[in-house]
Amino acid sequence: MKKKIGVYICHCGGNISDYVDVEKVRQAVEDEGGVLLAKTTMFACSDSNQKDMVDDIKNYNLDGVVVASCSPKLHLTTFRNVSERAGLNKYNYVHANIREQASWAHSDDKTGATEKAIHLVKAAIAKDRFAESLESNVINAQKAVAVIGGGIAGLKAAMALSDMDCPVYIIERDHKVGGRVAQWGALFTTNETGKDLIARLHKELISSENVIIFTGAEVIENKGSIGDFMLKVKIAPLGEILDVNVGSVLMATGFDFYTPEDGEFGYNLINNVVTLPDFKEMIEQGGDKLMFKGKEVRNIAYIYCVGSRQTEGENTYCSRYCCTSTIHTALLAKKKYKGIYNYHFTRGVRTYGKQEALYAESSQQGDIYLQSFEDALPEVAKHGDKTIVKINDILSGGRELEVEADLVVLVTGMVPRADNSVGTLFKLPKGRDKFFNEIHMKLRPVETVIDGVTICGTCQGPKNIMESVNSALSAATKSFSYVSKGVLETEPIVALVDSALCTWCNACSEACPFDAISMAPEGFGSIAVINNSVCKGCGMCAPVCPTDAINLITYSNREIEGMIDVLANG
Amino acid sequence: MMSGQKNISFDALVVGGGIAGGETALNLANNGFKVLLIEKELSIGGKMILLSKVFPTLDCAACITTPKVSEISRHTDITIFTGSEVSKITKTGVNSFEAIVVKKPRFVVVEDCTGCQLCEQACPVSVRDQYQFDLVGRKAAFIPFSIASPKAAAIDIENCVLCGACEKACPTNCIDFTQEIEEYLVKIKTVVLATGFKLFDPLMIPRYGFGLYKNVITSMQMERELAPTRPFNTVLRPGDGKVPDKIAYVLCTGSRDASVGNPICSQICCMYSIKQAQLLMGTLPMADVTIYYINIRSFGKGFEEFYQQAKGMGVNFVKGKIGKISEKENENLMLRYEDINEGIVKEAEHDMVILSVGVLPNQDAAKLFKTEELKLDTYKFISQSDALESPSKTSIEGVFVAGTASGPMDIPDSILSAGAASSEAMSYLIRNK
Repeated sequence: MKKKIGVYICHCGGNISDYVDVEKVRQAVEDEGGVLLAKTTMFACSDSNQKDMVDDIKNYNLDGVVVASCSPKLHLTTFRNVSERAGLNKYNYVHANIREQASWAHSDDKTGATEKAIHLVKAAIAKDRFAESLESNVINAQKAVAVIGGGIAGLKAAMALSDMDCPVYIIERDHKVGGRVAQWGALFTTNETGKDLIARLHKELISSENVIIFTGAEVIENKGSIGDFMLKVKIAPLGEILDVNVGSVLMATGFDFYTPEDGEFGYNLINNVVTLPDFKEMIEQGGDKLMFKGKEVRNIAYIYCVGSRQTEGENTYCSRYCCTSTIHTALLAKKKYKGIYNYHFTRGVRTYGKQEALYAESSQQGDIYLQSFEDALPEVAKHGDKTIVKINDILSGGRELEVEADLVVLVTGMVPRADNSVGTLFKLPKGRDKFFNEIHMKLRPVETVIDGVTICGTCQGPKNIMESVNSALSAATKSFSYVSKGVLETEPIVALVDSALCTWCNACSEACPFDAISMAPEGFGSIAVINNSVCKGCGMCAPVCPTDAINLITYSNREIEGMIDVLANG
Repeated sequence: MMSGQKNISFDALVVGGGIAGGETALNLANNGFKVLLIEKELSIGGKMILLSKVFPTLDCAACITTPKVSEISRHTDITIFTGSEVSKITKTGVNSFEAIVVKKPRFVVVEDCTGCQLCEQACPVSVRDQYQFDLVGRKAAFIPFSIASPKAAAIDIENCVLCGACEKACPTNCIDFTQEIEEYLVKIKTVVLATGFKLFDPLMIPRYGFGLYKNVITSMQMERELAPTRPFNTVLRPGDGKVPDKIAYVLCTGSRDASVGNPICSQICCMYSIKQAQLLMGTLPMADVTIYYINIRSFGKGFEEFYQQAKGMGVNFVKGKIGKISEKENENLMLRYEDINEGIVKEAEHDMVILSVGVLPNQDAAKLFKTEELKLDTYKFISQSDALESPSKTSIEGVFVAGTASGPMDIPDSILSAGAASSEAMSYLIRNK
């Protein structure tokens, strides 16, 4: 049992100290058993405080450290590293969260928040008394990366990995690579065509020895974990199955276009209502006149935010690329065909950054911009053989305006892939918008909670091409850093089976969400064995064990019971 | 005053120690490359370390920046020069560059300084504090800000009266007036430019009255008023110290405005203003906050939801561009604007106005290259030579750009851009090994 624990209570600027009396917390815990020193600090994570902690650990020979601050998701690693730098095994560090769990949650009750913080810190101290030094598991990392999805993001990530001398497998479901971008003509803002852009990238890729491209291919099985993923890839049309062994998986599975519902702005009811991708194709394929169903098109009405920023539907997010894409496409139409009039029915144009220049150009070219009120979207209706788009227009002082359109283009946004089987296979978490979710938008923007699996491009959320490529390169950097050294350290916090108590009833294996538990013969019977590199230490197995044969390292009964005693009794 | 030039060599030179430069340095160093990080300010962390909370998650900026900064400053493969500038970069071969780096004297031995602040107390000179965006004063002997890295004093020699009070007060004798400019000749194999952006100076728009009316401040000043390390420990208007209760935001100040030479959108102002409005609603629950806008551009992941949340909290959004701001006797401000929804010109009284200033290019990087041309785009940001396929490539092979040096972007995009620059720089280093 520890006798020299150092406790640090963080103000977090005012994030904690505005609601929790941190000095009172400090006084309440300084005489707890095993505590040698207790201090408060403005920012525990700041460089200067980290240095002070290192000095304390060395000078006072601390055998345990507790920091009471924000969520461990943010700074558990930070403070473990502080311990390690001071020569104290990092698993002697215990984190108490008094921000998300006290100050922020109880900002209406300062006394209660302070009381709760005191309990939480005391519980952390109770746990730390029995904390043990542990060593990380060191595993071999296969120096190869599987890139799932061969669109612009996947191809670019593969190219970057190949340039870093890392073998790459591109696994593309379609019969050819290039994804959406390969289908497009001139792109904003460089005006290079999508076909050329993909061709350029493809040429580089096929000349690289490090890259193997599988098309018509699908991952059908995923076993293993970071450093050693064992994938089964099924190749159409023969159904041949290949084994692919990689250290990291990079997801670049892209998006689906939103499909309007029948009748949504006349879609599928009125014959000259199309979507933006349909329209892009028309412009690409068209001859010297823009024709639709035998009629020449002159007046085009673009209805923005179809399937995005929905007040009633599920897609509350902005699809980010569509304003600029529409304006760019409308300009192309005008340049290619004579006598085109573009009418933009917007909800506020979002040509952010330098894309603003396109909006300005379009306005100069005479495109008409209208904007609807948020509670009164434009209406598309058939009047005889005419298609009329009606709007209550903000920009002309709320006037009701009508445009007779030869073609109505619904600017459809991005939605997550309807077929999420590959996401399910890797157990990737999704955000509220149903796209794959990163761990932290700013600290770990391309990493997922599944170690070794990175995400990039539009499978993570709407992005334009440049943004997709930036994220693809970031993900390549991250995936590379997992595999580049050939070895990896993983958390030693895993489940531990007491073979004397285990009777192999299969309950733990069924409870495990990561398939980390399997059966192995032991003596005359069988017991459960844990695959340490797959086990995430989630603890699902421990409570279901009828013989109490499973313990989670760092969450032993005496640690947990110590915490419960303090929380229950104060 | 100059001692002899020193020769040093690294794999990569990263110019700019803000969030993009720092992220790039870390990525490179974590993959085994040796990096020299040059920062012209006295602390790394760029503009982000000075922010309050960041959208759309409302994480406190310090909570994200300080551990990164700490990791950067501790990394054995990263060497940091603060208070330093690159004066020239010459390409000498396929993967070889030479840079001249000038390290200005801090007049403090950083290793010996404990950050005790006794020199600050002793110093008799008060000047405006640039790290609090002139809201308050600081001394000529000063620690830049409480979470600065390195957290060490510096002497502002321009304003110092050489009285020697700080030297006497310093318990570790770390103040050294004999320090001189040091010049380094740095050999590197690749260069990443992460020189960031400049904020629009609202003095350029006299009709908004910035600099004339005390209660018209910039969004960066409000950012400081809301930060945990805030100067006043509460939000107040600088004119008379009154707590404001009718606050206005003027979006697109210096953006989307050809008349001030900046026709493009700054990409971040809508969101940071919405964020500040949310924070103000928390800090001053009784205050009314109005945002005057042309278009709200909440385009990123979780941004639209953040905008809707602000509306739900009661932030008042008015579509209209401000024509003119004038001051009343009680130092309140009259805003004349066109209410676009109603199609009429209106006036509104507010007791504090925040100008949401835009992002301008930092053109310093272009001057560094003498033998090669670093191309700039129409708006004077560093030109991306292959914007769609390799967004971080510049007109010079082996020189990459990260973050807002190539155009306006928010923090998540800057970090991804830094990831891209790191990847390209690593490929370049490995390919030309």
